Amino acid sequence: MAPNPTSGWIQLQDRFYRKVEVYSLLWKQIELSKFIIAGAQYGGPIAMIRDDKKVLLLQNQQPIKPIIYIYSSAGKLLQQIQWDKGRIVAMGWTEQEQLVVAMEEGTIRMYSLDGEYTQFTLGKEAKEHGVTDCQIWGNGLVAMTGNYQLISVTNFEEPRPKQLADPGISEPPHCWTVILPQYTLSRHVEVLIATAATIIVVDGQDAVDQRLQGPFTKMAVSPNGKFLALFTSEGKLWVVSTDFQKNLSEFATKSGIPPQQLAWCGTDSVVLYWELSTSKIVLMIGPFGDWIKLSYDDAIYLIPEIDGVRVITADKCEFLQKVPSPTEEIFAIGSTSASAMLYDALDHFERKSPKADDNIRGIRAELGDAVDNCIEAAGHEFSEHYQRLLLKASYAFGKCFLDSYNAEQFVNMAQNLRVMNAVRYYDIGIPITYAQYQRLTPESLIDRLINRNHHLLAMRIASYLKIRTDRILIHWACAKIKASTEDEETICRAIVDKLSQNASLSYAEIAKTAYKAGQPRLATRLLDYEPRAADQVPLLISMQEDELSLVKAIESGDTDLVYLVIFHLKRKLPLGEFFRLINNKPLACNLLQVYCKEQDRELLKDFYYQDDRRIESANLSLEESFGETDIVERISKLRIALKLYQDDRNHTFEAKMVEDSIKVLQLQTQLEKDLKESFIGLSISQTIHKCIILGQSNKAAKIKTDFKVTEKRFWWIKLQGLVETRDWEELEKFAKSKKSPIGYEPFVQECIKMRQFQEASKYIMKCEPAARPMLFVKIGAFREAAEQAFTNKDMATLREVRAKCPNSVVGQEVDNLIIQLDTK
Amino acid sequence: SKIELFQRSVETPLLYGHFSMSASHLGKTPLDIAKLRDAVRKRLPELLDTVRGKKGLILDPQLTGPLSLIAEISILKDHGVEKIYHLDDNILDTDCKNLIYICRPKLKYMKYIAAQIRKDRQDTSKRIEYSLFFVSQRTMLCERILEEEGVLGDITLGEFAMEWIPFEDDLISMELDNSTWKELNLFLFFSLSIKDGDTTAIHQAAKSLMKLQQIYGLFPRIIGKGDSAKALADMLIRMRREQAVVEEVSSSTSRQNPSLLNSLSTHIDQLVIIDRNVDLYTPLCTQLTYEGLIDEIFRIKHSFVEVDPSLVGTAPAPGQSASAQPAAAPAGASAAVAAGKKKNYALNSGDKLFSQLCDLNFAVVGGLLNKIAKRINENYEERHQAKTMAQIRTFVDTGIAEEIMSQTITDEFNRMLETQQNLVAGVDSNSEVDYIEELIDKQEPIVKVLRVLCLMSLVQGGLKAKVLEHFKREIIQASHISLTTVFNGLLTCEIIQTYGYEHIQTLYDLERLGLFNVRTSSNASRAAYANVRRTLRLIVNEVDEHNPADISYVYSGYAPLSVRLVQCAVQKISAGHAGGSVPGIGLLVNVVGGGSSGTIGSNNTASQNGGQDKSDKTTVSGWKGYEEILKLLPGAAVDEVQTVEAKNEREAKATAARAKRSLGSHHKKTTIVFFLGGCTYTEVSAIRFLAQQDEGVRDYLVATTQMINGNTLLESVIQSTPFDRGESVEQV
Repeated sequence: MAPNPTSGWIQLQDRFYRKVEVYSLLWKQIELSKFIIAGAQYGGPIAMIRDDKKVLLLQNQQPIKPIIYIYSSAGKLLQQIQWDKGRIVAMGWTEQEQLVVAMEEGTIRMYSLDGEYTQFTLGKEAKEHGVTDCQIWGNGLVAMTGNYQLISVTNFEEPRPKQLADPGISEPPHCWTVILPQYTLSRHVEVLIATAATIIVVDGQDAVDQRLQGPFTKMAVSPNGKFLALFTSEGKLWVVSTDFQKNLSEFATKSGIPPQQLAWCGTDSVVLYWELSTSKIVLMIGPFGDWIKLSYDDAIYLIPEIDGVRVITADKCEFLQKVPSPTEEIFAIGSTSASAMLYDALDHFERKSPKADDNIRGIRAELGDAVDNCIEAAGHEFSEHYQRLLLKASYAFGKCFLDSYNAEQFVNMAQNLRVMNAVRYYDIGIPITYAQYQRLTPESLIDRLINRNHHLLAMRIASYLKIRTDRILIHWACAKIKASTEDEETICRAIVDKLSQNASLSYAEIAKTAYKAGQPRLATRLLDYEPRAADQVPLLISMQEDELSLVKAIESGDTDLVYLVIFHLKRKLPLGEFFRLINNKPLACNLLQVYCKEQDRELLKDFYYQDDRRIESANLSLEESFGETDIVERISKLRIALKLYQDDRNHTFEAKMVEDSIKVLQLQTQLEKDLKESFIGLSISQTIHKCIILGQSNKAAKIKTDFKVTEKRFWWIKLQGLVETRDWEELEKFAKSKKSPIGYEPFVQECIKMRQFQEASKYIMKCEPAARPMLFVKIGAFREAAEQAFTNKDMATLREVRAKCPNSVVGQEVDNLIIQLDTK
Repeated sequence: SKIELFQRSVETPLLYGHFSMSASHLGKTPLDIAKLRDAVRKRLPELLDTVRGKKGLILDPQLTGPLSLIAEISILKDHGVEKIYHLDDNILDTDCKNLIYICRPKLKYMKYIAAQIRKDRQDTSKRIEYSLFFVSQRTMLCERILEEEGVLGDITLGEFAMEWIPFEDDLISMELDNSTWKELNLFLFFSLSIKDGDTTAIHQAAKSLMKLQQIYGLFPRIIGKGDSAKALADMLIRMRREQAVVEEVSSSTSRQNPSLLNSLSTHIDQLVIIDRNVDLYTPLCTQLTYEGLIDEIFRIKHSFVEVDPSLVGTAPAPGQSASAQPAAAPAGASAAVAAGKKKNYALNSGDKLFSQLCDLNFAVVGGLLNKIAKRINENYEERHQAKTMAQIRTFVDTGIAEEIMSQTITDEFNRMLETQQNLVAGVDSNSEVDYIEELIDKQEPIVKVLRVLCLMSLVQGGLKAKVLEHFKREIIQASHISLTTVFNGLLTCEIIQTYGYEHIQTLYDLERLGLFNVRTSSNASRAAYANVRRTLRLIVNEVDEHNPADISYVYSGYAPLSVRLVQCAVQKISAGHAGGSVPGIGLLVNVVGGGSSGTIGSNNTASQNGGQDKSDKTTVSGWKGYEEILKLLPGAAVDEVQTVEAKNEREAKATAARAKRSLGSHHKKTTIVFFLGGCTYTEVSAIRFLAQQDEGVRDYLVATTQMINGNTLLESVIQSTPFDRGESVEQV
């Protein structure tokens, strides 16, 4: 028979707290006072190592090298890590239940529960001055260095140490803590440092003195980041909002000695723990200054949770929390709430007492809520006996009196309870509460199970909750590879058999594990099952599978991956071998070209040369020549290109052109010398144009002949040049020099563009008769326009001229012409 | 002072971009395109806040435009941005303690950033924190470059997902570089498969389309035409398979952001991928819609148009007065200075007048604007005092239209147009060659010459023998050049002589890209275009610009091939009308041809033709019935149906039900038309025309890698030398 649910209740003013014994610990009496301890949230594991600062009674069995022990909340040893590195200044846990160990020398190690670790360093400052202390939370840490600087890391996945503002202190602080980024206004971590009589708040930008009346010897931030509990040197507990704007409560403990631990129990009471040689005292102080004192025989350790505090003693794991309100409503002595009546009614009903009926009648109106309340209360219950009773009261009994009831809530709770009870089982040892479970999410809970290698339970929970099982299978496969001594074939088959039911599942992680475990062939085989190229390729690279990694990257169509492999290979292999490897892979070759064009032209030259791509080499050389400011250099580059083009019969045109371009450069050099004007870089047309403008008609004509410029083009260029310099005389001479190959309309048009109507008129009569009238119109000569149209016998044009004519006198004349033409 | 200059040039689009309008004109369709923008808008402050305190923001110059469409400058200021710079090879001398870079993952940017960090390191008194956010995804390649440069440890890397820039409810763009099409196809000449080339853009496109699928659900059907389209479709399918794995790995995050990748979209009926390679004719033609012509003449950048203030005649707006316009621009300051003088106007439906005009043939715009102009003309003199945005807008439109008009009435413009129309219509005439020759002789801009030349080469399957003979004759009469020189060499020779020897490479690349070819003995390609023109009725002779009956109005008689393909796939142009007959080429011609009779072009086709027609139109059946037409065009055809596995079915149904609840059960489906390699404004207008025809039946969403026109398409190919960089070729 389970004890009465209220047996562990303690009243604190108007509210109840309860202390539930969750486990009798599996470990043998451990002297907690001698250890540095770190407990993970959400009922997570506890890590401990001998504290070398505390006096050590030498015992025979004491090992020379210290060991980090990791226990479950039920005291089951999960892992032990031989510690052979430097002095540990702090330990903590990440959200993924990795143990973070901060070392004095500035290195941070992160251990998974199976004892593997990754590490990173906090940078030069930390190394030089050493780390004296470290505050660690779920996804980051702040370290304090020997010269009182603060270094923060806010993402363990990509740790990037960042120095915070200088707090400006020169002696060790009394204590310090952090407000997590998710709870600050700026969304960046803030550090609170108690020094002298005040507290300094430090972030990335500034350090702000709060100008308080301390000194403060201990502090703790509430789980929601809103409140700060401070312990003053005079023994006062002061609770204030974390922005120091609101005083919440004060309580005098009359103890000058700061407590060993100061922890929040949920968000409304604070637990203080003094570890005195004579006694171990726990004081819980409520929001209105009321308190309870508990005492223990041996040292304890407090692990704050979001909804309470876990108390680890030498032989027990207890949970101290405010009694959840549905539970209080039902079980509080003398409660007359509807849910209490319902619960009571069930008892009467089972004893066949008619009072059951009375109870139900009495709460008819509130029955729905009562049913819900009982379900909720079941969730908060650790004892399976009461869980069952509460569910029965609500669902099996209370619901029957309701017309309609949505079973969803009940079904969900039953599911949740099954999962929670399963993980609370002492062998698993995760004493998770309903509130924690909801916050953590089932997915994360499953992750925690697989990290403890409880794959079967994880699978069952996942399939029970209809959550995808891929991660569990992957982790299982990895664990299997690590533990297995079987041959490659057997393991591979075992894994593939198990995993193949799942169509889309990443094998990369498994293959990586196999590779790390010294089974490269197994790794390659497994990797073949990986559907994601992005995961395949980096691993193949690290496995030295050069060609395969390139092939897989190409298959993916992700050019980024191909580049990744190309660069890796280029760095790793001799150039010849590198080219040989990519030569038969067009995509790789083409991407290399794209990259090299922008970044590494020397490599591109080598590449073209070894692959005998002459035209490409020629093009490259040509392109480079245009970037050369020095003419000699430019010509020599052009000659290289020329030689290469000449080798290919299909590119005689290009060869001819390059030859010309050399000739042009030589010519332009000469022109620059002769005319003291800049010519280099101009095209042939532009060169001719410039000669014309400079009045060098002979030179222009010579270029025309030398470069076989067409008559038409030459005429156009000369025409434009002469018009531009307004050399009307020369223009007229030019027009008469011979019959224009471009006709004379361009002459007219170009003059019109310069608004030289007089000049334009000189050429109109040289144009085709049909074009003349409208050209005259353009220069405003309507009379001439009309005459020409009349000569052409072009009535339509004549009428158009008339329509456009603004002058009434001329208009009259045009009208006459129209009549004449009409009568003809 | 350089800093201030840059800062202003960056702010300019933000201040004058009418961001408040650009924010409100989206979100009016069931797809709710505003969602795409809002996600980015939400992310921006988040990433700015990753750095504490005041900060300098350094932006990829290509991203300033897109960003200004998404967030107003006040967001930046509210989150501590004190200075904004453009990311280029200049080392900044800044007193900012925090620098945030936002850029696309380009190698050159990594070099610039590395140079900056190394420079700052020399000054030990400085302690700058650097963050870099890649748009839209970080690449291992860039990380590798940063590592090689020895700065990876100094910089915090992140991502800024901005896959799509929403311009309108029916137009979203990835806004990739103009060179995308070139990059995709440059290697095709030597390789057998598109997949051997630089497929980076295909990969990016696939990622962006995956994002749409995450938001709207899987495209039930993916069809497309062209080798790149095929590669893209394959990649989409592959990614979907891979994505299932990713989602599993990050199950906790996917919980907060549920992805719809395991259910079919209830909004979208299909994705039509048009590979630009299939239709290069269209972009080479001069666009004749209002927006198209604005793009041709002024060039629209990220939906902004830069206009000389004198054109619009407005006085400097408040805040843009003396202090913001330093009189003495330092010598050698870059284009940013010049740009500072011009003004940016956002072209989108936030402007009511513009939205009425943008899709119309310009022939009509003149008259319409005239009416409006008359109405406001009384106030015309007041334009210097114009205060409200709406007033300014009217002047902008009038000013722009006047400028366009002054260009479109010139002989030069009309000769160009006539030449283009003759070419696409297959009218044989010798005048095109003369015309091109004259353009060269007159030293017109090379891009103008190449645009006609490439179009000629494309429609004629290379340049033809008759042209060659003509030239030979000309040559004998007029010059001394030997007869043995091939024609191709001659014309290109002229280009090189006129525009410089660097264009040896330009012409070589054009040839590799298939834009400019010598006609070989095989006549296949020439016949191919003629065939396509006939069967798809690309040329429609009687076009009523005022009451268009067919999409061909956008080019005054030429129907964009790309959009004809969309019509085949989506409207099934023949099936509904011919009532049960086998859909075929001949019928297609009939229906399209009969446009003026009212079957196509009326806004109520569906109701006229009754339910039968409607069901035909709403069913999605891929390319069925058009296989023969597709064979005439280059590249593979894609037709994939995406399905959802049975085990996900329950979930899928639930999602579908949820979607239905939020939308109401009756809603039109949307067809997404994705242009891989760029899309023109005329094509957008043509698709809007289809949307009008299909009103009540389906919506269209145009998605594209970027907006292009013939000039931007060719400019990416035209070789520049270090001496002429910064002019027309280099995009700012």
